[in-house]
Amino acid sequence: MERGLLRVNLTTGEIKKETIPHAMFERWVGGSGINDWLLWEHFLRHDPMCDPRGPDNIFIFGVGPLAGTGSGIGVKGRLTFKSPCYKIFGDSAGGGQFPYAIRFTGYDYIAVTGKAPKPVYLHICNDEVTICDAGHLWGKGSIETHALLRQELGDYPAEVHTLTIGQAGENQVGIAGVASDGWRIYARGGGGAVMGSKNLKAIAVQGNKGIKVHNPLGMLRWADGFRQKLDANEAGYGFKRRGTLGAVELYQRIGGNFWRNNQGSLFRGEEVRSDNWVKKFHKYSEVCSADCYIACDGRYKIEGHESPRAQHYVGETFRHPEYLVTAGSAGAMDVRDWADVAHIGRVTNDYGIDIQDASCAISFIMELWQRGLLSAREVEELFDKPLIPEWGDMDAIEEMLASLAYQKNLFGRMFRDGAYWGALALSQKKGENLVKYAIYGKGGASFTEELRPFPTWMNNMAVASRGADHLKGIGLIEKFQRKDLSNAYFGRPEAGDPSIPDLKGASTAILENRVALINSYGVCIFHWLLDPLGYAPESYYGQAYAEVTGIDKSQEERLRDGERICNLEKAFNSRLGMRREHDIICERWMYEPCPEGPYKGRVAADMFEQVLDEYYEWRGWDKRTGLQTRSKLEELGLAEVAEVLAAEGALIDDRPGRARAVHVTTPTVGNEKVAT
Amino acid sequence: MITVRAEYHARFREITTVAEETLQLEQPLVAELARLLTQKYGPRMEALLIDPDTKDLNNKGTLFLDSKGRRISIDDTLEDGEVISFMVGIAGGSGVQESGR
Amino acid sequence: MTEQTQKELANGALWLRPDEDIPNVPKKLFALQNLCTDCKICEVACSLIHSPDGELNPVWTRLKITHVPQVATRVNKDGLGFMVAICHHCANPPPCAVACPTDAFYYDPVTYAAIIDQDKCIQCMECVPACPFDTVYVAPTGEVLKCDLCGGDPACVKACATRPDKLNVGKQYPRLPVLFYEEKATFSTILRRSPEAKDEVGLMEALLKQGKVSSAA
Repeated sequence: MERGLLRVNLTTGEIKKETIPHAMFERWVGGSGINDWLLWEHFLRHDPMCDPRGPDNIFIFGVGPLAGTGSGIGVKGRLTFKSPCYKIFGDSAGGGQFPYAIRFTGYDYIAVTGKAPKPVYLHICNDEVTICDAGHLWGKGSIETHALLRQELGDYPAEVHTLTIGQAGENQVGIAGVASDGWRIYARGGGGAVMGSKNLKAIAVQGNKGIKVHNPLGMLRWADGFRQKLDANEAGYGFKRRGTLGAVELYQRIGGNFWRNNQGSLFRGEEVRSDNWVKKFHKYSEVCSADCYIACDGRYKIEGHESPRAQHYVGETFRHPEYLVTAGSAGAMDVRDWADVAHIGRVTNDYGIDIQDASCAISFIMELWQRGLLSAREVEELFDKPLIPEWGDMDAIEEMLASLAYQKNLFGRMFRDGAYWGALALSQKKGENLVKYAIYGKGGASFTEELRPFPTWMNNMAVASRGADHLKGIGLIEKFQRKDLSNAYFGRPEAGDPSIPDLKGASTAILENRVALINSYGVCIFHWLLDPLGYAPESYYGQAYAEVTGIDKSQEERLRDGERICNLEKAFNSRLGMRREHDIICERWMYEPCPEGPYKGRVAADMFEQVLDEYYEWRGWDKRTGLQTRSKLEELGLAEVAEVLAAEGALIDDRPGRARAVHVTTPTVGNEKVAT
Repeated sequence: MITVRAEYHARFREITTVAEETLQLEQPLVAELARLLTQKYGPRMEALLIDPDTKDLNNKGTLFLDSKGRRISIDDTLEDGEVISFMVGIAGGSGVQESGR
Repeated sequence: MTEQTQKELANGALWLRPDEDIPNVPKKLFALQNLCTDCKICEVACSLIHSPDGELNPVWTRLKITHVPQVATRVNKDGLGFMVAICHHCANPPPCAVACPTDAFYYDPVTYAAIIDQDKCIQCMECVPACPFDTVYVAPTGEVLKCDLCGGDPACVKACATRPDKLNVGKQYPRLPVLFYEEKATFSTILRRSPEAKDEVGLMEALLKQGKVSSAA
């Protein structure tokens, strides 16, 4: 297996076309894994402490080999970079059509460094790669930019697909994401700011070259088998309709919804429920990512009668809101009308800004206002105009989102990296501690779910390599009370019981390895998430990977690959000075009792340290510092990484004769049951 | 004889076409509830409700919660007045015209 | 059909002769277009079967997903969005074959699909505009691409997964894929149903009656 890597230096205008050799896929799998290695290598030649908005940062796109090969498990591209808002390892994912379309140019990987002297976009047309002037696109949102590029580049040799930044990325807002086809967004971590800081407005691709598949008939046979398994799964079929929207009802039932900056655990109002969305709004076709059987996406168009606020948005069309858009709107900011929620989803995608970070910055201000901790005069100072940051007020919300995207006032500038940094700046300005009202985890990243009752999720928020996040550790065993999964992975049921700390850190550790694999294959996490040991275990995906690449491994070897990838991300963070004391969650999450719902009264601090200890144990890392050990890295074939860390004091040297022999055997799980 | 209330969401709601209903159970058992619903709503309900391999309540992407938010299984007993929620893990939205509306 | 024609059919040596008695295609592709979600897996499967060296490349497919924003149905008032443009295996005789100046079309003895003999084809592309459905395609090499039903086991039909029953018009229809390989009905897609054909049995009803899919109850 060999695929193309495009290296672009925007300072010099140099474009280098390289090949990612087979050996790289054998070691790093693809997608996430290869991106991570490219990042690591880059920062051996450049200072990892560089300004993430500076020319020395690198912006990497990668898509794994399984993407678009007919597997039916969807496609996901990966962006990797140093995060401007969280200041640590940054990555984000997106699906749709772009990761599929780019593969036909022959370039699965793009690495951009430097900074263009003025706004440009990259045009990849099979082998022809051009840096084009983007002056006419600058200032426009993602939706319009995509439409213009489509128009000007035409349909030959293929339809145009794009990655674009909106105004937020142009203004280097730390929490800016990168939109794909003006429709989906790689939201997390500030990839948009990295592009914006390089004056890179967009990447447009058109290709009609073929993709070599090692065993095409084998791949078709695998897809046949997978399809039959999926069709036999009634619940998986249900998931085909509405993506993640059902989480609204589920979390409302288990007290897992985030309300008014997490002052509550349940939405208020009866309107924002998935059944109401589907019945009243969902009238357009359902839409897929390429190569996906689920079709969780859908397009709406507002006619004006669907809800009380719908008349404000007549004719507006976009993709349906996902759960986290809903959590950021109806939850964090207490918006109570679906039309408003949908509109916020569209606006944030168009600006190209992460909804979770943006909504927590806004809801932070709203809470201060609610508590009388900000006067009207102080609010006016922040916004250069009078504003009433009342919960659920759409005028205020629109103004505050625009403030962030356009960086047009003190609020925009203070909160450009999210709630934590904004709260810090505001606290310093006012001379009082307001950080205790900000919602964040590791890296200062915000997350809009009620997580205090769930020790695995609290652990995820504290340890995820890209900052507080659920999509590395995926606490599904605990939240869905899957004692059966706990038994299968650990031989005992405790991971499926949210009321005790046992096996919660362990869950994070073992699932992070599996998620890393899936992210490296280039496919979507959803099938696996629904039924990780049933119809869609990652070991089964590994078989498809073998058909496509010719790289066949045992399940143990594959899990080792996943662990290696996780350890590389960790190593990068260690170089940046991250230690155990940075694996944290905010005060409200840590110490405030869960205010309502079936888990009312639970305090995360009761279990937090114990769970974190267990996570380090299962990772084979040092509990005191959080650092990796030499023996762990050597076990994974990362001796060279160990050398770099050792030179920077970021490694625990546990060689015989040295202090602290730390040796933990990584538990392996074999023979997962595959539904037949 | 006990009375329980069943609340249906997403895929379940499409099958039952009602958002909730009150049910009388001869015996206070989850197994009895499952039997009643399978009888009433047929094979589609059964496929969602029961895991054919384990014969337990289906775990895969579905979630059955009691009023305390705990997952119930086929061997559990039920209290009089219990409220059971039938949910699909993440997928949402019932697109079918419901009876009585 | 004459005995001579039968023999020629059986050994694949039959060339199209418009005045001869050509049998109707027994089974053909059908598409429930309003269920298409642009996953493109049908294209992937077709290209893995048909492209040189089993390369994955949609330029080699004999069907394509197209975007059709203007066609409205009662389900999607503002248009479908996506449609799979398939060969409709017209019979008696297909217009593509009629247009061919070198008699390059012949019938597959199993499926009766009209197939292009690339040795006889001069790539004049007269068949392309002749197709009333615009589903004769051309590869970048100039090769003219025609659906051959994969010899009787169409890969695209297998690749198309069942779709959510989106037709929420009061009835719960069974789960259906977009693509079918079924006995010939009076029309090939829902889109093409003429008002005059309102008394004819629709595809779904036909499938239900034949027991090929089960009802939602």
